[in-house]
Amino acid sequence: MNVSIIGITIITMGVIKNNKMKALTANKITKYFHDPETFQVLKDVSFDVNKGEFVSIVGKSGSGKSTLLYLLSTMDTSYEGNITINDTTVTGLTQNQLAKFRNEHIGFVFQFHYLLPEFSVLDNVMLPALKLKKKSKEEIEARAMELLTLLDIKGHETKKASKISGGQQQRVAIARALINEPAIIMGDEPTGNLDSKNTKIVFDIFRQLAKEKGQTIIAVTHDDEFAANCDRIIEMVDGKIIQ
Amino acid sequence: MANINNKISWTHLTSKVKQLIVAVLSVTFGISMYVFMNSFMNGVNNAQTDITFTSMSHIRVYNDPAGEPAILLSQKSTSDTLTMVSNAKHINYTEGMINADEVKEVLQKNKDIVAITEQVNQNVFFRNGVTKVSGSLSGVDTANEIQMFNTTEYITEGSLNDLDKRSDAVVLGTGLADKLSASMGDNISLTTADGVNKVFKVVGLIETGSGSVDKSRAIISINTARQLLSKNKSYATDVMANVKDYNDAKTIADEVRSDIKYKTEAWQEGNAQLESANTLRDIIAIAVSLTILIVAGFGIYNIMNMTVSEKIREIAILKAMGFDGRDIVYIFLVQSVIIGLIGGFIGLLLGFAVASIVDRIPFKIASFDTLPITYLPADYILAMIFGLAITFIAGYLPARKASKIDPVQILRG
Repeated sequence: MNVSIIGITIITMGVIKNNKMKALTANKITKYFHDPETFQVLKDVSFDVNKGEFVSIVGKSGSGKSTLLYLLSTMDTSYEGNITINDTTVTGLTQNQLAKFRNEHIGFVFQFHYLLPEFSVLDNVMLPALKLKKKSKEEIEARAMELLTLLDIKGHETKKASKISGGQQQRVAIARALINEPAIIMGDEPTGNLDSKNTKIVFDIFRQLAKEKGQTIIAVTHDDEFAANCDRIIEMVDGKIIQ
Repeated sequence: MANINNKISWTHLTSKVKQLIVAVLSVTFGISMYVFMNSFMNGVNNAQTDITFTSMSHIRVYNDPAGEPAILLSQKSTSDTLTMVSNAKHINYTEGMINADEVKEVLQKNKDIVAITEQVNQNVFFRNGVTKVSGSLSGVDTANEIQMFNTTEYITEGSLNDLDKRSDAVVLGTGLADKLSASMGDNISLTTADGVNKVFKVVGLIETGSGSVDKSRAIISINTARQLLSKNKSYATDVMANVKDYNDAKTIADEVRSDIKYKTEAWQEGNAQLESANTLRDIIAIAVSLTILIVAGFGIYNIMNMTVSEKIREIAILKAMGFDGRDIVYIFLVQSVIIGLIGGFIGLLLGFAVASIVDRIPFKIASFDTLPITYLPADYILAMIFGLAITFIAGYLPARKASKIDPVQILRG
């Protein structure tokens, strides 16, 4: 009994050492879809993402890139293999533990902004931090205002989220993703619904975050130009990564 | 720091004011109907009981000589003897109680008994000219009678106290007076079963609301009645007692029964129909009002289900941001509980308002001028408890559904 516990401890420490500069490690990820018929979406996918790296995942539709992102996001838990984010093995955690983990360590930006339309812009940004409860409301508000200023939406903070333009909404969504200073920001076609001007703004924000704040960014995209300017492109074909 | 889940619940609620009002109204309606129905049914029950107890006491003691007469001849059962007694009759038969004071003493010792009175009741013939009506004559102890049955309230003309002022005074039931075509101040004569005749003067009319009683009963002073029947001063046919709570009559009757040699009967024993009618009315009231509350529950369920469907993307994004299943259940449950609380509170007020309006609707029957309503705090408390329980269940089911939403399915589109 004792021996086995010690064994586990040593292995865990080894993992920590290995991942010191790693923001995310995916190890032999395999996933099947069972509906309408069993189909292997991901085939033994393994890769690492370093801290501060800006990675984009590209591939044709059906290549499994979105599926992979949602596995990495911890929202989808039915897969084989291991995922370690920020030195925490998230594989095998309960739904509630994962929710807490996402709240603290992962920020999301989706193709559609998914803001809560009845809340003000400021409330939308503050929401994840109010859930995390690590700071006082005043601190959170100050931080949210800072982010809104950084993303150039200052002056709109009291408006309802449904009353601002699409580009602004997407920037609010980014501010929301940043409020808890997550280790990783995940984007599911974050610019998919934006014109070229707003796409450039969003891309520049991501670029800046990775460079200056050391935040890791993983984005699924169809936009070749967006992908080309990233640090690294992970290309997927038929559930496998081709480098 | 205000709880963020509460804030989300509140924002959801207040962003759809119309929907909120509809949901609140359905609870309000359900709870107010519950309160009103129960207040009304309790009012009807109490009115019924009140009418019943205008001429009936909670406990009645009387001489019940019924049963087979005892055969005094010893039944020898030898093989060559045959004893046969046919057509046996009571030969020594005492009507009423010659020592009613003893009974009264026993009853007075019981602390749950609040009022005691004695009566001399006799079936007699009333005559006014050629009109001849059979009825019952009650000789009453006026002071105690008034205390126990609140008799003065039912006197429509004249006064009951006049019975003590003259020995030939009689108070007639209104129905009986009609049958005899007698009115105040008229003289009527009566004949007892033993053939004694006496002329009485009508000094009052009484209407208890119980038709059969009003059509047959005349009241005279108990002393006059004893005289009329040539009985002793302690004689009474009935000794009646009222207890604090008429529902306890049975147990109290059981307590005193052993000390009294006459038949002691609680009101329920002779009037099962009253008790069952009360129970049935209660069941109907509760069934109807609970049905209304359940319908209100379906209303809330429906509205909350719609809200969950409408906000399915928001729920998914909340989950993506780190709100767990319990948070989502909480967010939606709080909404329905708030609807339940607001609707319940307004419902209680509305129920009270409707009840007090109905309380003022003129309804002339017996001693009542308006429809009967009873205001019981228990009805209000139960209405609130049922209302909250139903909104809780109706809100929990959609909330649980919301908590089980898979964000991946929704967000991937």
